[in-house]
Amino acid sequence: MSDKNQEFHPKGTLTILIIFVLTLILLWGSVYLILLNRGVTI
Amino acid sequence: MSANTYQLSQEDKKFVGLHIFFAVLALSIGTLFGPLQALEHSGLDLYPYLQPLFKSYYQGLTLHGVLNALVWTTFFITGFLTLVVIVGLKRELRYPKLNRVGFWTMVVGLVMAAIPILLNEASVLYTFYPPLKAHWAFYLGLTLVVVGSWIEGYGFFFTFAAWRKENPGVRSPFIALAAVITMGMWQIATLGVAAEILTMLLPWSLGLIEGTDPQLARTYFWFTGHPLVYFWLLPAYISWYGMLPKQAGGKLFSDSLGRFAFWLFFLLSVPLGFHHQYVDPGVPAGWKFLHALLTYSVFFPSMLTAFTVIASLEYAGRQNGGKGLLGWIRALPWNNPSVSAQLFAGILFFFGGISGLANASYNVNLVLHNTAWVPGHFHLTVASAVTLSFWGISYWLVPYITGKKLLNEKTATWANWLWFIGMIIFSNAMHVLGLLGAPRRTPLGLAPYIPEEWSGHLLRVGIGGSIMFIGAVLFVVTVARTAWSKKAEPAEVEVPVAEAIHDPQDTPQWLDAFKPWLIGTIALIIIAYGPQLVDQIANISLNAPGGKVW
Amino acid sequence: MSTKTSMHIDPYERNWMIVSIVLLLGFATAIAVAAFAFGIQVPSPEQRVDPRTVAESGPWAEPGLRELSPGKYEAYILARTWLFQPREITVPVGSKVTFYVTSADVQHGFKLQNTNLNVQVIPGQVSKLTITFDEPGDYNYICTEYCGNGHAAMFGTVHVTP
Repeated sequence: MSDKNQEFHPKGTLTILIIFVLTLILLWGSVYLILLNRGVTI
Repeated sequence: MSANTYQLSQEDKKFVGLHIFFAVLALSIGTLFGPLQALEHSGLDLYPYLQPLFKSYYQGLTLHGVLNALVWTTFFITGFLTLVVIVGLKRELRYPKLNRVGFWTMVVGLVMAAIPILLNEASVLYTFYPPLKAHWAFYLGLTLVVVGSWIEGYGFFFTFAAWRKENPGVRSPFIALAAVITMGMWQIATLGVAAEILTMLLPWSLGLIEGTDPQLARTYFWFTGHPLVYFWLLPAYISWYGMLPKQAGGKLFSDSLGRFAFWLFFLLSVPLGFHHQYVDPGVPAGWKFLHALLTYSVFFPSMLTAFTVIASLEYAGRQNGGKGLLGWIRALPWNNPSVSAQLFAGILFFFGGISGLANASYNVNLVLHNTAWVPGHFHLTVASAVTLSFWGISYWLVPYITGKKLLNEKTATWANWLWFIGMIIFSNAMHVLGLLGAPRRTPLGLAPYIPEEWSGHLLRVGIGGSIMFIGAVLFVVTVARTAWSKKAEPAEVEVPVAEAIHDPQDTPQWLDAFKPWLIGTIALIIIAYGPQLVDQIANISLNAPGGKVW
Repeated sequence: MSTKTSMHIDPYERNWMIVSIVLLLGFATAIAVAAFAFGIQVPSPEQRVDPRTVAESGPWAEPGLRELSPGKYEAYILARTWLFQPREITVPVGSKVTFYVTSADVQHGFKLQNTNLNVQVIPGQVSKLTITFDEPGDYNYICTEYCGNGHAAMFGTVHVTP
């Protein structure tokens, strides 16, 4: 195994995934707020 | 490196090709009904013009769901995995005849199920919830398709076991292990639908018993219904982990994490079916909550997959000379239609994952259950992540088995782009409609309760669906021309198999052993499903006679 | 042959695994709070009925609204191909209504628009959820499960009067 491979740090990957997580929280959160707005069921 | 790639025999190429032929045939017919449904939502109902050939929207929807979600997928998967097992293990199938028996059993089942659907005797949609009563041939046909896929699975297991014997102490090749894990999961998962059909639906449709227990039937069905999703998805993951990195010019980022993700799917795919039954009256809320947590846990291996696959792509992009934090994205071979199809698949799957997590979130499902959100969601998963990946695979697989160059890259690229853009429009509109309360499975043009605020979104459903349809036509034209046109030039095509950055031999042994994972899986299913299954079976009431109401 | 038992995990990927787990725990907490603290719950088994006779005897023989006490109601709804019985109910604003929905034939859906009342209606089972109407207006309940040819036209209305 070459040293070059060892040095590879997937920074771009982590950036994309952080954007994904923020989108996920935003979209999931908006549906969750709709749920809270529509009232209780018991 | 290319010399290492094991070649399929001519017979095996033909055998894989037959799978793909039936898969694409099913997709071609099933997809015809897609724009009919989408345009109906936009106010343009073409079904009256199809009389008397096709009787109703619901018959069309049944054809669309069964042919696309069940047949296109199952035939493509068994064919693709046959190739993956042979190329991965670099050996022939142990019992080639067994796999042929499995395949032709599937074909017989397909024909048997298709006839009643085409005669409007089985317009029960692809979930066939009793007591909607289809013709018995429909249930028997579906059973044979599943049994055939089991037999093909046994063929893989015997082949894998033979390889193990011949290669003691060697780590199994990742793609072959992943294929065997997928088929192993499928064997366990399909026990639910087998129980549903054999103990209830088949005897009932044959007139041997008076009625069904629709609640128990749903519990059986969703025992299979959610792992079915992973049965579709895992072959796409095999390509993303084991092939796409090579096509993109790089390597698999982590062999062990790839295996780890597949084992987690094996462990967690089945014991979570109640998340499709959150609003069922016959399942206690506590069990539903447990399945919600288990569903969250199966999201974890998909998060791992996202990391490993994107990191493999980043590695490839940097090998291709891509610079900067995100500049490597542009350095990926976007002009290769096989790569772009899978990249689009991944992008759409981001959003499919998000909407799926909302579905899975227990009480959040009250907002979404049986609304247009749900088909909006699964068109991003099975019809995007899975289908676009299978298109991408087809762009090298059809040339590989026919020995001809793809005819041509241009039509394939257009197919990808149109499907991608159409899907964005379509699925966004469907998600919004779902939040506004629009029901799924409903010809909304006929519904008397449509508020004005839905109309713009309904229009977008038709526009998106029509664009997708053009993309699908181009896909079918591309693979059909490659296979049969005289213009197709001969070509030597390789199966892309990615190497891992780290030697697989460094992968720990517990990631290459079935026994602990199988025991864990069975234990988890017993914990998550056992008490409810016992309770529901002990209290069975076969008092819903149902009937043909279409 | 390697005898290693631990997998090699890249530090970036390890961080990502931690983020994923924290995220999922956060969502799990949110749904648990909504369910167990706020009372936004999903249905649980209520009672079993015989779909062949449910329209002839018992509370669904005369489906409709029953007042329990001022502002508290029970609504017995029978779903059948292809209508809801009753088609309309009227309650004053602020009413708390417990819905008991069952089917006399095939599966149906019962979704009360703009509320969290959304249940699968299964022959032999009773779907029960409770809703409080804080805003006056008309709330349609629509069939959200395919139930045969007349499915698209199957709906009813709750009139909430000021």
